[in-house]
Amino acid sequence: MDKKEGATMKNKVVPTIKLYDYLLVPIQIELDDNTVERLQMQILHEIHEKEVRGIIIDVSMVDVIDSYISFVLSETAGMAKAMGCYVVICGIQPQVALTLSQMGIKLKDIITAQSLEDAINILDKLE
Amino acid sequence: MNPQDYDIVLKIKDESDIAVSRQMAKNFAQKMDFSLADVTKIATAVSELARNIYRYAKEGYIYIRKKEGGSEKAPAIEILACDRGPGIENVELAISGGYTTSERSLGLGLAGIRRLMDSFHIESEVGKGTVVIVEKRRRVF
Repeated sequence: MDKKEGATMKNKVVPTIKLYDYLLVPIQIELDDNTVERLQMQILHEIHEKEVRGIIIDVSMVDVIDSYISFVLSETAGMAKAMGCYVVICGIQPQVALTLSQMGIKLKDIITAQSLEDAINILDKLE
Repeated sequence: MNPQDYDIVLKIKDESDIAVSRQMAKNFAQKMDFSLADVTKIATAVSELARNIYRYAKEGYIYIRKKEGGSEKAPAIEILACDRGPGIENVELAISGGYTTSERSLGLGLAGIRRLMDSFHIESEVGKGTVVIVEKRRRVF
């Protein structure tokens, strides 16, 4: 599948839920490179279309986050920031946090939260 | 090196092979009774190795096997990644971390793999290809 196809809203990579001014993105699929790139396009489109002010990416079901996935997630947060939208990632598993930190990977531009409630609280305070 | 000495042989040719190799490594490490933290580290390291092959060499192989540690020691997992790609000009720089020749990268792949594994060995020749061999020993609790 090419990138243009991913850019249309017809084939969403991850089904999302609008909650107040926020968009909840629960990732429950294996993140390969192509999927994470399409997810980036999807998120940017949804920010634009639904006028959300905060994105909450729930990664509690994701068991491997490597350097490229981290790169794309950070990049997405940077792009969202340019559109006036914060990105919060919640639910990073302990072993994923351990691996990321040991590799020296920092999640630039991303706000992290422990849980969904925590993420909403953080975003509420930012408004 | 004889491919028959390995438990798993993975050909990396498509982008989707990165996720497949990550999953295979994860299952194999789980079967070997590695801790959850170490399974994650091994799967992440294989993901980085597979991406390097796909991104820089277009295609290559990843070999995985269990190495018995003898009567006293715990077994280890050995992962060998090889390709006939362009090779790495400055290996020292490539494994130092934060250096990359690719646009969409943190440059932490090889440095990260080295930190995640117990042993790390790399050989690369410009125009010939690259071989990376890493090992992780199962911790005895």
